[in-house]
Amino acid sequence: MTKEKTYEPKPYSNPYLVGLSLGLVLLAAFLIMGRGLGASGAVSTAVAVGVSKVAPEHASQNNFYKEYLGDEAANPFKDWLVFQILGVIVGGFISGMLTHRVKVTVEKGPNISVRNRLILAFVGGGFIGFGAKMARGCMSGQALTGGAFLNLGSWAAMMAIFAAAYGVAYFVRRQWL
Amino acid sequence: MMPYFKFDYFSVDFSLVIAFVIGIAFGFVLERGGFGNARILAAQFYFSNMRVLKVMFTAIITAAIGLFYFTWMGWLDLSLVYTTDTFLIPQIIGGAFLGIGFIVGGYCPGTSFVSASTGRIDGMVYILGIFFGIFVFGETLPLFESFFNSTPMGRVTLNEFFGLSHGLTLFLVVLMALGAFAAAEWGEKIMAKKNGRGAE
Amino acid sequence: MKERLMKLSTPWKLAILAGLLGFIALLIGNPSNRNVIDVNAKEMALATVKNHDRIDAMTLADWLIKENADYTLVDLRSEKEFGEYNIPTSVSIPIESILNSDLMRNQKILLYGNDDVASAQAWFILKSSNYKAVYILKGGLNAWKNEILFPKLDASATAEQTTAFEKVKQVSLHFGGTPQIISGGTATTVAAQTTVAPTMPKLTAPAGKVGGGAKKKKEGC
Repeated sequence: MTKEKTYEPKPYSNPYLVGLSLGLVLLAAFLIMGRGLGASGAVSTAVAVGVSKVAPEHASQNNFYKEYLGDEAANPFKDWLVFQILGVIVGGFISGMLTHRVKVTVEKGPNISVRNRLILAFVGGGFIGFGAKMARGCMSGQALTGGAFLNLGSWAAMMAIFAAAYGVAYFVRRQWL
Repeated sequence: MMPYFKFDYFSVDFSLVIAFVIGIAFGFVLERGGFGNARILAAQFYFSNMRVLKVMFTAIITAAIGLFYFTWMGWLDLSLVYTTDTFLIPQIIGGAFLGIGFIVGGYCPGTSFVSASTGRIDGMVYILGIFFGIFVFGETLPLFESFFNSTPMGRVTLNEFFGLSHGLTLFLVVLMALGAFAAAEWGEKIMAKKNGRGAE
Repeated sequence: MKERLMKLSTPWKLAILAGLLGFIALLIGNPSNRNVIDVNAKEMALATVKNHDRIDAMTLADWLIKENADYTLVDLRSEKEFGEYNIPTSVSIPIESILNSDLMRNQKILLYGNDDVASAQAWFILKSSNYKAVYILKGGLNAWKNEILFPKLDASATAEQTTAFEKVKQVSLHFGGTPQIISGGTATTVAAQTTVAPTMPKLTAPAGKVGGGAKKKKEGC
């Protein structure tokens, strides 16, 4: 497959202005809710609920699932992070529509097949899922939220993210370049 | 006093509405920044497009400055803002996993939802991967739970750890970010020359 | 060229602003130190003198029976002690973790320890951290034991006292207590009067939640 260019979507916005807006959104979350942004927490809740549906006994013995199931009184999906991620999906879609960037496609470099790209996407997602829980938060929860809070562990995790990504980038360059 | 939720200004149910609205803003901004596109995110790690660094550090210093001044004005009780406790070693190892996942998969969790909602199939597959990764973590956690809970340091910030004042730490972070921006702009120019095309 | 300069100027303005705010922050130092607290000394002293913030054991028993639930009853003792006995509906928040609890600032909070000391300290900490409505169970758990669980009536009591005691007895029995009548130094009715209290009522089911409630844990991500 070669690079396809049907029409020119609008260029992405100035990164500093985007960063400023993102910072203000994050600050709003801090000021209104007293907590930051997150993404992987919603998936964790979904996984925990899924496991407890299939094997309730098993889930109730696992400290990790228990954390996301909470007490039986409340529906685990009535959670801040779950609603927030629903918002992310809607918000991303709105912005994509406004700028003609919604397009069913696979993002990849020219030197990799779609199949391999999807395999790598799955593997990468697996690493992220595992890492996000190990680091107690993903890029949104640790690097961004914790970073703004000047949280020690978040900064350590952030440095590790960049170090590892730069370290591994060379080996997967065929995927992107 | 802020944060409003911690002072019972509204109910848990209403907080979910706020979560949804803040999520929309979050997703909107991420998409504007080009973070729904794996190639733009990955370009960060080949020095050809430093958007990730620019957006992230601008956001971090914006929010950090905001937190500082709202606290200084007495409008915000910083001790009520939730932040994760530090478990240094597991977080560094976890961070390494995140970094690997980032460059291999091309997204981080937040951006993958944006990419999926804007039609990227790789983003959707990536989300399945996150489900799988978290499932594996949940299933294997009992094997390394003691490691997961090792080096606990509680709720600790950079300034507390290094014994600096909050303001000095913020100043250093801002300086570091501005330095990183300058380096990023400079690096992009070099790479653009080398590749014979524009960075953006 | 001119256009490019115009384009560059916004990030540059932002950078200069950020640098400036960062520098001012450096001069400010610490915006607030959460280990050092601001106290309105006069208001505090007045509240202490006026005893507005004390609830006695009988009032609490009354609230509990009427299931008046507009307050949160907080047990400040250790979780071990809490496990042995606690006043029904109470929540265990050991005093050292009082500021890390899920208590809300606008919530009505009623504190108790073994006596008044821990609750008075916690009262001060909470008040100075902007908690609006903090109350103390007068006499703590000891008062609860003496007045509610194991009320005593002297055998030589007047008729009036005896009728009053009848009421107390009902309350006491409600909470699984053991009312006693003392005649000339030895207690009759149920148990012999000893310095050790008669058997404490057994905890019926989990009377309260340990650790401020098994709420869903908040996660950053």
